Amino acid sequence: MAAVLQLSQVTKAYGALRALDGIDISLPDNAYISLLGPSGSGKTILLRVIAGFEAPDSGSILFKGERVEAVPPHRRNIGFVFQNFALFPHLSVARNIAFGLENRELNPITDSAVVRAKVKDIVALVGLTGLEDRGVAQISGGQRQRVALARTLITEPSLVLLDEPLGALDANLRTRMRAELRAIRERCGVTFLHVTGSETEALAMGDTVLVLDRGRIAQADDADTVYNRPRSAAVARFLNCYNLFEGQLSKDDFVSPVGKFPLQGQQADARGQPAYAIRYDRISIRPLVASVTAEEVRIEGTFIADEYSGAAINSFFSLDDGRVIEVESHLSQAAPQACVPHGRYALVWKRQNALVYA
Amino acid sequence: MQASGTKLALGIYTALFLVFLYGPMVVLAILSFQTGPEGGPQFPIIEWSIYWYKHLFGMTPPTRIAPLPIEEALVRSLVLAVMTMIVSTVLGVTSAQAFRKKFTGSGFAFYLIVLGMMVPGVLVGLGMALIANALGIDRHWWGTTFVLHVVYTYPFAFLVMLAILNRFDQSVEEASWSLGVSPVKTFRKVTFPLIFPGVLSAMLFAFTLSYDEFSRTLFASGRDLTLPLAIYGTFSVEVHPNVFAFGVLTTLFSFALLGTYAVLMMLSIRRARRVAIQEEA
Repeated sequence: MAAVLQLSQVTKAYGALRALDGIDISLPDNAYISLLGPSGSGKTILLRVIAGFEAPDSGSILFKGERVEAVPPHRRNIGFVFQNFALFPHLSVARNIAFGLENRELNPITDSAVVRAKVKDIVALVGLTGLEDRGVAQISGGQRQRVALARTLITEPSLVLLDEPLGALDANLRTRMRAELRAIRERCGVTFLHVTGSETEALAMGDTVLVLDRGRIAQADDADTVYNRPRSAAVARFLNCYNLFEGQLSKDDFVSPVGKFPLQGQQADARGQPAYAIRYDRISIRPLVASVTAEEVRIEGTFIADEYSGAAINSFFSLDDGRVIEVESHLSQAAPQACVPHGRYALVWKRQNALVYA
Repeated sequence: MQASGTKLALGIYTALFLVFLYGPMVVLAILSFQTGPEGGPQFPIIEWSIYWYKHLFGMTPPTRIAPLPIEEALVRSLVLAVMTMIVSTVLGVTSAQAFRKKFTGSGFAFYLIVLGMMVPGVLVGLGMALIANALGIDRHWWGTTFVLHVVYTYPFAFLVMLAILNRFDQSVEEASWSLGVSPVKTFRKVTFPLIFPGVLSAMLFAFTLSYDEFSRTLFASGRDLTLPLAIYGTFSVEVHPNVFAFGVLTTLFSFALLGTYAVLMMLSIRRARRVAIQEEA
């Protein structure tokens, strides 16, 4: 697959803050890429640099094989879908969608019959038929999202940047729009770069998931790899499903403030802070008296509270040094241990399930 | 009890405030209906008539009271106000647009612009007269005065536009660029329609401020008088109710102007409100 966009060593600083600190990315043609980053990781700035709204301090941006750092946004042909949609409030749905075609500098379409036909096609594609003459304030959030998308797609960009496109929608709609976004993208055959702060959204949407951490790409893999083998403690933290312990690696153990965790053949990834990570759903809760096998790790904690979410229960335990450990028990597997408030329990996991960073 | 007492006091205060605010205008309006030509600008009303209105338009038999020398002055003032309005609004919109990005010296430039509305008018007028004399430039309402009117009204237009652009969501412009539309066309097709209510306000400010500007005009206008100067000139001899009649007519004219402004604003706000209601629903 040809790369539609290639960034190498792109940096951008605001005063002392290095918002982008040497970004290297290569985005394939016709793919759905999600970019996961916590707030402040520089993800919106990265999109704005790619779109041309901001200039990078250094580094190169190749779009379809040509350098575009000095090209103004309206000559880049890169679509941008804003979190707040940024629809033109003084124009109707149809006028919003036709706006780019009619007014663009390069090859504007002046034949209104052609414009109408194109608008009709794209309106059908995104599912807005019947709403063409409404004002953009007379439609719902999900519909506005579709207008924003249609307005961009009609100009046939090779790359569409989406800045938290589902952030302004309510939870129900968000799940529906996820599937819809993927379907629309497949029909158009363009590359979507979807920026989000939600790990579930990033994992669900992206063929490839990029993880941004303090201005650097911390990982670029498929969703399964990112979820199961985060490349650094920081990535594991963003995924919101790992308990992390800081500490030091010493021979066959990982020495953490709450005790030694024996290892079993783990390759320690040498990047960032040393850390030991165990996924919420890899931990089981047992009574203090229950025995453990040789390949298991055991610590003790005091039960604080739990949170029922239908398919699973998330239980919170505080360890002796005050840190809180989260355990996810899937209800489909076995009836979980019923915990008594302030009761002491053993938290047990298999050695091989832990990830170690040194 | 305490609360209702305060309420009453505040009510009376407000009523008095309104009386003082509009009293002069009402008195002026009443006296303009004094009978003429023997009735003067004082109570009591001898007889209600529209004599002075007729007098204004030269529809009365000639008397010793000369008709107001306002015809040409009125035209001058209107033309001057329109010229000032156009130039100040264009300057205000473009410079406020420039101030959206910080540039070197933007703070200094800001105060320099705003200074135009701060400095006392008499001083500026006098200064302009002195400079014109020194440089051998003739003073005219369309020259020296026009420049001073722009200097005076441009800061108002600028500040109005600055406030409007401050609240303007830049992402709609960026959206337009990313669709391939050039910045110039984006301004014409997106930015300008959205800031148009502000532009109307800036125009109204510039027009009304220029139309009745006195102190700057006094020194800078030369031989041909503008309307405020012409009216002032008649005061210095003798005051007749024809001035009041004229005052009533100009006030009505201003109301008509405001009415037009209100209608235009309502049209653009109604569209925005339809939007807002849907937003809540």
